Amino acid sequence: MIRRDFLRQCSLAGLGLAWPETSSSLAQQKPRDDAPYDGPFYVVYNAAGGWDTTYLMDPKGINGMNRLYKEGDIQTHGAHKFAPTGKTIKAGMSNEDFYKEFGKELLVLNGLDYSVNNHEPGSRYMATGKLDTLSYPTFAALVAGCKGPQCPLGFLTFGGYSNTGNLIPMSRITDATALLQLANADCVKGQQNRPYQDDFVINHIEHALRNQAQERNRNERLPRLERAHNMLYAAQVNSKSLERIVPWLPKTPPKGRLTSSADIVLAAFKGGVGVSANLTLSSFDSHANNDDDQMARIPELLAGVAYLLRRAEELKIRDKVVVIMQSEMGRTPNYNQQNGKDHWSVGSIMFLGPNIKGNRVIGATDEKFFAVPLSSRTLTPDKENGIRVRPEHIHDALRRYAGIVDHPFSKRFPLNVAESERLNTLWG
Amino acid sequence: MRWDLSVGVVFVVACMVSTQANGQAPKTPQEPVAGSNQTAPYTGSTCLAPVDRHFADEVWTKVGERICLTCHKPGGDAEESRFLLRDPKRSEGPAVLADLRANRNAFVQMAKLEAEGHQSRLLLKATGKLKHGGKVQVLPDSAEYRILAEFVRSINAPVQQTTPLVDDQKHPPFFNGIVMLDDQRLLRRVTLSLVGRLPTETERSALAKNGSKALPAILDAIMKEDAFYARLREGFEDIFLVLGLEETDNSGIPLSYEHFGETRHWASNKDLVKHITDEKQRQEAQRKIITDCGKAIREEPLRLIEYIVRNDRPFTEIVTADYILVSPYSARCYGIFEQIRSQFKNPEDPFEYIPVKLKALVSRNPLGKQESPTGFYPHAGLLSTFQYLRRYPTTETNRNRLRARMFYQHFLGVDVLELAARVTDAAEVSAKYPNPTMQAAECTVCHKVIDPVAGLFQDYWTFGKGYGRRKGGWFTDMFAPGFEGEDLPTEDRWRALQWLGERTAKDPRFAVAMVEHAYYLLTGRKVLLPPKDINEPLYMARRRAYLAQRKEIDAIAKRFTASQFNFRNVIKDWIVSEFYRADGLATADLTVERRAELEDVGLVRMLTPEQLERKVAAIFGEPWGRLNGNLALLYGGIDSREVTERVTEPSGVMGAIQRILSNDLACKHTALDFSRPSTERRLFPHVEPDVLPGASPEADSKIRKTIVHLHWLILGRSDRADSREVDRTFQLFSGIVTEAAQRKDLNPNELDACCQGLNGRVADPHYTIRAWRGVLTYLLRQHDFLYE
Repeated sequence: MIRRDFLRQCSLAGLGLAWPETSSSLAQQKPRDDAPYDGPFYVVYNAAGGWDTTYLMDPKGINGMNRLYKEGDIQTHGAHKFAPTGKTIKAGMSNEDFYKEFGKELLVLNGLDYSVNNHEPGSRYMATGKLDTLSYPTFAALVAGCKGPQCPLGFLTFGGYSNTGNLIPMSRITDATALLQLANADCVKGQQNRPYQDDFVINHIEHALRNQAQERNRNERLPRLERAHNMLYAAQVNSKSLERIVPWLPKTPPKGRLTSSADIVLAAFKGGVGVSANLTLSSFDSHANNDDDQMARIPELLAGVAYLLRRAEELKIRDKVVVIMQSEMGRTPNYNQQNGKDHWSVGSIMFLGPNIKGNRVIGATDEKFFAVPLSSRTLTPDKENGIRVRPEHIHDALRRYAGIVDHPFSKRFPLNVAESERLNTLWG
Repeated sequence: MRWDLSVGVVFVVACMVSTQANGQAPKTPQEPVAGSNQTAPYTGSTCLAPVDRHFADEVWTKVGERICLTCHKPGGDAEESRFLLRDPKRSEGPAVLADLRANRNAFVQMAKLEAEGHQSRLLLKATGKLKHGGKVQVLPDSAEYRILAEFVRSINAPVQQTTPLVDDQKHPPFFNGIVMLDDQRLLRRVTLSLVGRLPTETERSALAKNGSKALPAILDAIMKEDAFYARLREGFEDIFLVLGLEETDNSGIPLSYEHFGETRHWASNKDLVKHITDEKQRQEAQRKIITDCGKAIREEPLRLIEYIVRNDRPFTEIVTADYILVSPYSARCYGIFEQIRSQFKNPEDPFEYIPVKLKALVSRNPLGKQESPTGFYPHAGLLSTFQYLRRYPTTETNRNRLRARMFYQHFLGVDVLELAARVTDAAEVSAKYPNPTMQAAECTVCHKVIDPVAGLFQDYWTFGKGYGRRKGGWFTDMFAPGFEGEDLPTEDRWRALQWLGERTAKDPRFAVAMVEHAYYLLTGRKVLLPPKDINEPLYMARRRAYLAQRKEIDAIAKRFTASQFNFRNVIKDWIVSEFYRADGLATADLTVERRAELEDVGLVRMLTPEQLERKVAAIFGEPWGRLNGNLALLYGGIDSREVTERVTEPSGVMGAIQRILSNDLACKHTALDFSRPSTERRLFPHVEPDVLPGASPEADSKIRKTIVHLHWLILGRSDRADSREVDRTFQLFSGIVTEAAQRKDLNPNELDACCQGLNGRVADPHYTIRAWRGVLTYLLRQHDFLYE
């Protein structure tokens, strides 16, 4: 099998290869497809536990839905309406500040029908667009598999539902300092000036491994074994490009659940070794003391997103970063006896990124906090003939937005959204 | 005879009385004709009657089992309905097919009924057009609808079918064309997997002499080694995750102040170490006691599992044992050490465990005082351990439902949420009913199963304390405590978990779930789930793979039950099964369908950090020692709390760790091994550093012999000296030595970092030490080393 066929097979198996440098004696076999991935980059924020959207992008202030503000207190910024939190929160970023800084880029969809109100099915459904199977990849994994199979940190996850559909391996990194050593894996204690082997020895080893991989690909193996061989080879080869992220890790990382994750993610993006990431902020499940919990978590989430976007600006990749903010469910329109709110299957989702027209709010909930059906054609409320916008509609739109809807990987996991229900103009 | 629901197997059942959907014998039994989708009366002229294939493969598999059975079963949401089905998965032997026949009868009766306009009630109900508790379950343009419509048509207008709907000859045995692992490699796989060592010469010889007949005895011996029990604990920790229990303080002691306030922190008593004069040593000693104490008590549930297996006790005791395991350290936490001190072989060993019964808990708070007619804590295996209860705590709104859910998942193999997720307007349902969990069909389908079990945990209500009843009694706005339709008798409330454990042990799903756990322990992955998307082109292939595996699971579960639930038998059964031994393909051509069938076949497991360390120790004589803490997490490990699922496929980060490991181990062991007398070497007993490739046929022969040895030792491969793989390794060694000889800029000595702890100086004038190091690095990066 020639190298091109090997690469093609690996690629179809979800295994892109960024080939290692080779020595002069083996230079004639040096592949040329090791360019860093240059964007777009996708970040999915999960408000794990179920966020109260009436305290963010879908404010109500009526029918006892919100104890912290009344309808008349609702704030606006451009086309956006949002709950006032500036005077309530103790830390993090207020809605007012968030909308002021990002409102013009922000697309909000209200009235999303999660369809279930249990955490795990909801998380799975929101992450993949498919409720009744455990095999579908998350959008972040899918887009990484389609766009950057050669990236060693193609799909980074920091918790939450992270199924890959076997398209691409997931990477879990919680400690940025560990990356420094991993980036110099061929050096004693990760010290760049102390290589274990002379260069030519490394090249001989890589050559032998490559030769073995190519030869094995000619043989029939059990599908599982074939895939494992290819995955392992790709992982080791691709790991060499980890060194690209080292320059972009901050010297003194800020403390915070979302900020340290964001640093790793952005360094991976900037270094051309990452495509997408799942970032999760937990403890939104406010069955007791809803307002206290939501007023702690929502500002923390917004501050995390703001940090990511500002840092992306510093790294000069801001214009390539796509942010999706979601949760697996919403919270009831009423308070329970513990001053909490229970699970509710209606909520919202937010987007921001290149070619997403901001300053828009699509969809709605009514005064009782039920989803109002939406015309998929005009994106305006249509109680008679509209559709209930569900995760599969969102994922179908996301796949189209990312340009991967016709990729073989996407076709392997079809969403089967009828033509008439597609949200073709969602992105503006 | 094999009892099977798989495609390609003729269903033949022993003569039995057919039943109606309600479980009663029908007056005029209706039975299908073999290979036909028409209805024909069962004549009863023979004791053997085939089951309708079309019904089994299409109607039942794709619609009935997946959709209708969720509610239309005893204990289900539609148990009052006339359309009542049976779950063949909960039966064994002939009863499986009896269930299937009963279900077909139920479908036939329903298909014959017509509503107004001569429309089939079956279709109208399914599509929600007739009053139906489950509302719309099947869309009119779906494949499910077409299957039902065809069934209705065939029942009401039967046409004589001359050819069977499914070609029974089409499918050869599932493992046709699959090459199995040979005995020696199987033994190596097993010893590394279960006890973290290479096979002994005695074991290898026994296998060579007697073939696979020697295997059972070898396995029996292996499963009595201490390392096996450590592996067992590790495997079940991956499932139960009890070490990740929630702590109320930093001690890791899962006992409450209320019940064990005076004893639980005995390890912090400074008097224990006051005899140590040096302050640093004293502090260190205290820290060790505290750490060992926390570890000893947290491990108790896993030690219970070990105790059951070690003593060949019925594995059902993981839910029925009326005792717990305590060590001298954890016994002090409970305040019972002095009473049982004499029963320990070494009362100072933190990790020697013995079974004990705790007395009923006492408390000044009436709700925390344990009600117990016997005066003892009502132990129920893992279910009632403080660790399990603390690992899966409850909240005011959760009402023990998490515990109920985990109970179903851990002990009956049922993921309740996965099965019951439905797409409806959940918000409308929530708003429409005052108590949706008891009134709305969308909710009751799950809650009717979960809530009764949640109620059985009611005495363990007090958050973070284990035991403690709820003020005001248990909730009345949820289904009453019980299990699978049986209410908990009031007099058994104090021992509700024992009551649950007794029923769990008798439930056929328990044995199946344990067999599935054993599969996870051995392979690192869960068993296959049934494919759901019947529109998928490869649905039948995936279904066949699922059923093939299910057949094996059911067979092992049956033997497990017959063996009085001896868990060792389950491990043995899996090891000798084709699923564990499948290793390659005999044929080159695979159809797309066959490929889909074989997608999950073959062990092919990337070693966990713990397994990899043990393998390194088995090969090199000591572990690498770095795959712990953060690096273990980066290598896909778990911490049982935040990170609870192992990563099973290597990412770029894990690829980097593999490179570090291979570089480091090769660096550490190459010169070191050469520095020993050849008779004491593990790696290079057949070669010296002055043996150069191409120097002579004898030299090449020695080098090849060394490579063959390394291939077996590190990779477990039995390669011939002239094989392609040995050639490749030889070329690598030779290539490095040759190129080194041409270079003038190389250091004449091996790297200092790779010459630590040598038994004597090892010169490397020919670069052979470094070339062999390169060979080791190459081998350690390979699949055969890094995977099982």
